[in-house]
Amino acid sequence: MSFFNSITPAAPTALSTAEAEALPSRRPSYEVAETDGGYTLVINLPGVSKEGLEITDEGGELRVLGKRSNKLPGGVVVLHRESSEAPFELVLEHDNTVDPSKTEAELKDGVLSLKLSKAESAKPRKIAVT
Amino acid sequence: MHLINYTHRNTFPVTRFGGRLGAQDIESELGYLFSSALGNLAPSILGGQFPVDLYEDKDNTYVRAELPGVSRDAISVEMVEGSLSIQASRKDKSADGEGTVSFNRLVSIPDEVQSDKVTASYENGILTVTLPRKEESKPKKINVAVN
Repeated sequence: MSFFNSITPAAPTALSTAEAEALPSRRPSYEVAETDGGYTLVINLPGVSKEGLEITDEGGELRVLGKRSNKLPGGVVVLHRESSEAPFELVLEHDNTVDPSKTEAELKDGVLSLKLSKAESAKPRKIAVT
Repeated sequence: MHLINYTHRNTFPVTRFGGRLGAQDIESELGYLFSSALGNLAPSILGGQFPVDLYEDKDNTYVRAELPGVSRDAISVEMVEGSLSIQASRKDKSADGEGTVSFNRLVSIPDEVQSDKVTASYENGILTVTLPRKEESKPKKINVAVN
């Protein structure tokens, strides 16, 4: 074991918070639907609490970053593991057709629902002929 | 009149090795690759199988499952002959209307547990089931007298 540690000193025995954050992020499963006034976005983020969630919308790019709080308690023996501690990251472009100041977000039971409103300039406009 | 020698195309997605592939073969291979890629993707959107963790400490065995967006009363957890059965359903609203996605998984539990003392909690879309082990299946220290 010590030999292994000497050639791969980075081999982690347990993931610390810093190391977990360094994990490559995973794209969560999500659904987008268009409504009259905008879009609804439903993103599955199991194990993400409100505190670990970061939503930004800048320059026509919506970014959702969810840090997971599903670390296994210390001192347990893992028999089988399928879940991952890698954070969720989803980046979607919307070409400024969305007004970020009107975005509403709700996180419930590991599912994030986002309501995006279309920008006034992107809404269809009827032009009267005079 | 022409007689066309018709042979059934292989309907199974068998990847063949060796030999040259014709254009049609490549097309079907690609089709298979796409369908298998989508086949892997579809369950993650629709639900289907969900990831499960199994771990233990000295008193309990734990089963943890990722079940985002399920309401608590739509989860059912049962011990059936040494296995833990997790069933859940999730109502999804989409543009096409409402649909229900069912989740179902049977996890075999290595140790004997006290079925009547199993508890479960659900937080942030993660279900954690605590299964207290039976006394006899806990590790025991046995003193052996050496003469």
